[in-house]
Amino acid sequence: MGALSIRAVRKAYGQVEILKGINIEIEAGEFLILVGPSGCGKSTLLSMIAGLDTITSGDIYIGDRLVNKLSPKDRDIAMVFQSYALYPNMTVRGNIAFGLEIRKVPKNEQDKIVQRVAQILQMEHLLDRKPSQLSGGQRQRVAMGRAIARDPTLFLFDEPLSNLDAKLRVEMRTEIKLLHQRVGKTIVYVTHDQIEAMTLGDKIAVMKAGEVQQFGTPQQVYDDPANLFVASFMGSPSMNFITCPVVSAGSGVGVQLENEGNTFVFPVNHAEPKLRSWVGKEVILGIRPEQITHKNESRVGEPHIQSANCKVELTEPTGPDTLVVIHLNGKETVCRVHPMHAKFHGERMELMFDMAKAVYFDPKTEQRLA
Amino acid sequence: MLGQVIIYTLLILVCIYYLLPLFVMVSTSLKSLDEIRTGSLIALPGDVTFAAWIKAWDSACTGVQCQGMKGYFWNSMRFVIPAVLISTAIGAINGYVLTMWRFKGSDMLFSLLMIGCFIPFQVVLLPMARTLGWLGIANTTTRLVFVHVVYGLAFTTLFFRNFYISVPEELVKAAKIDGAGFFKIFWRIILPLSIPIIVVSIIWQFTQIWNDFLFGVVFSSGERQPITVALNNLVNTSTGVKEYNVDMAAAIIAALPTLFVYVVAGKYFVRGLTAGAVKG
Repeated sequence: MGALSIRAVRKAYGQVEILKGINIEIEAGEFLILVGPSGCGKSTLLSMIAGLDTITSGDIYIGDRLVNKLSPKDRDIAMVFQSYALYPNMTVRGNIAFGLEIRKVPKNEQDKIVQRVAQILQMEHLLDRKPSQLSGGQRQRVAMGRAIARDPTLFLFDEPLSNLDAKLRVEMRTEIKLLHQRVGKTIVYVTHDQIEAMTLGDKIAVMKAGEVQQFGTPQQVYDDPANLFVASFMGSPSMNFITCPVVSAGSGVGVQLENEGNTFVFPVNHAEPKLRSWVGKEVILGIRPEQITHKNESRVGEPHIQSANCKVELTEPTGPDTLVVIHLNGKETVCRVHPMHAKFHGERMELMFDMAKAVYFDPKTEQRLA
Repeated sequence: MLGQVIIYTLLILVCIYYLLPLFVMVSTSLKSLDEIRTGSLIALPGDVTFAAWIKAWDSACTGVQCQGMKGYFWNSMRFVIPAVLISTAIGAINGYVLTMWRFKGSDMLFSLLMIGCFIPFQVVLLPMARTLGWLGIANTTTRLVFVHVVYGLAFTTLFFRNFYISVPEELVKAAKIDGAGFFKIFWRIILPLSIPIIVVSIIWQFTQIWNDFLFGVVFSSGERQPITVALNNLVNTSTGVKEYNVDMAAAIIAALPTLFVYVVAGKYFVRGLTAGAVKG
């Protein structure tokens, strides 16, 4: 039995189904990310785990307790909200101690816990301030402190960083990760930000339209996406999707690409068994920008490496890399090259394609083929 | 420059227009009856005397009794204060439930409740009389408290509901997870945020109930009548000479408490009325 089990959970408002049968299971101490675009049901699912929303059908277990009918206060959880939801009339100390006070923890015990929490989050000097006197990052920290103070078995985070500016967000992200390593508690974390999902999670559930599209480790989700949606959602800049015909190439199978009138066929190698039946039809080739780079002589000749000479449409320097946009089969395709090797608009450039991690999708169902 | 002159002239004129009646009331109440008869209406009192005030408070005749306004003043206090407090308290709970603990049909209930704001006093007189009879409430003070609480609920609920709609729901959720229940959340989290709207509700209700005449005259009797009814009786007493100075003093006495409440808490009133409209 894991720390949190969500089994065939559904949520419907009248005829409208918000969640269509969710199954997720995580172990104690794991950091689970629920990620997806807005309206995918991730926050609703979190509310249901918290007990703030009712379950239409299915079961939720926290530890080995069935919590479907338990009220939020009996679920042994703590939650950090997007708006922080600090009690405006209480000091930071009061905010952290409120839950303890309600649970009738003795006063001297409360003081000790507040001190300890303040120490962990380095906010001892803020204890007597009101929330209105704190900055966004400090409020965020108090909200986390309030959650830690209760020492629950399960932490719930509802887009906790989305109200912070970009720099602070990265800082707090690191802090949350450190905190998780230090307290080792199970965390469920909702976000729409795929970078947060990648950096924080032990497990990621990518959700769309009330369904889990894929559930796995960040690397699995990134390298081995279950369908076109997951592939496009994870990663920035996004994976390139190029519709291309599957053709026979010698004894094998390849995908046919075209740039500025030049046609070339890249063998699909490992995907061959699954794509053989698609010869003569079109598939969607998914290839990430970092898999298309400037030509590196030392790697030419490796089995998955292909190269092609393409015309550059646009260059976008990001600092460490430069993004080069080319057209393949009429589709804008982003390539990530070393700034030293980047060519400019109108010039031609020798590019190297690493087909080892290329993925293929059915254009109709958008499901993964190979 | 010319625009400013026009604006200020206009403002001063409007000020005079509004303050003149008050000025006449105050100055007349400080004059003797002789001076009123001989002098001009807007002249300042030549010889300031508080005799009219003392008489209005202590010994003016309201109908057959001649005990002044004092008894009625306290009559009013006796039912206005509980009515204001009870209607405000219930309004606060209503608003809290209608925003933070919504249930099926709660929006419908709120809409229905709002109809109460548009029902004129006259319409409820007869049904209210029947209800009071049915409930067997005979005591004047209790009757007036009951009537004003019922009538005021629509307004106080509206105030609090519109105020709480701008309070983030996540506060209540956080408190629920912290383990607090319905009343604990209300008492510890919501009520401390509600000071501005409580002040608004108290001013509004106090002014409404204190100034009410119709319910007062219908649902009270004899010595227990509110001050508004007594003032009417005093002014309309037809025996003897018409004592304008006493009438004026009595009218000011009747208006003082609402004036006092507004002066003390007025700045919250304006702030509180807009608080619900702008997300703060």
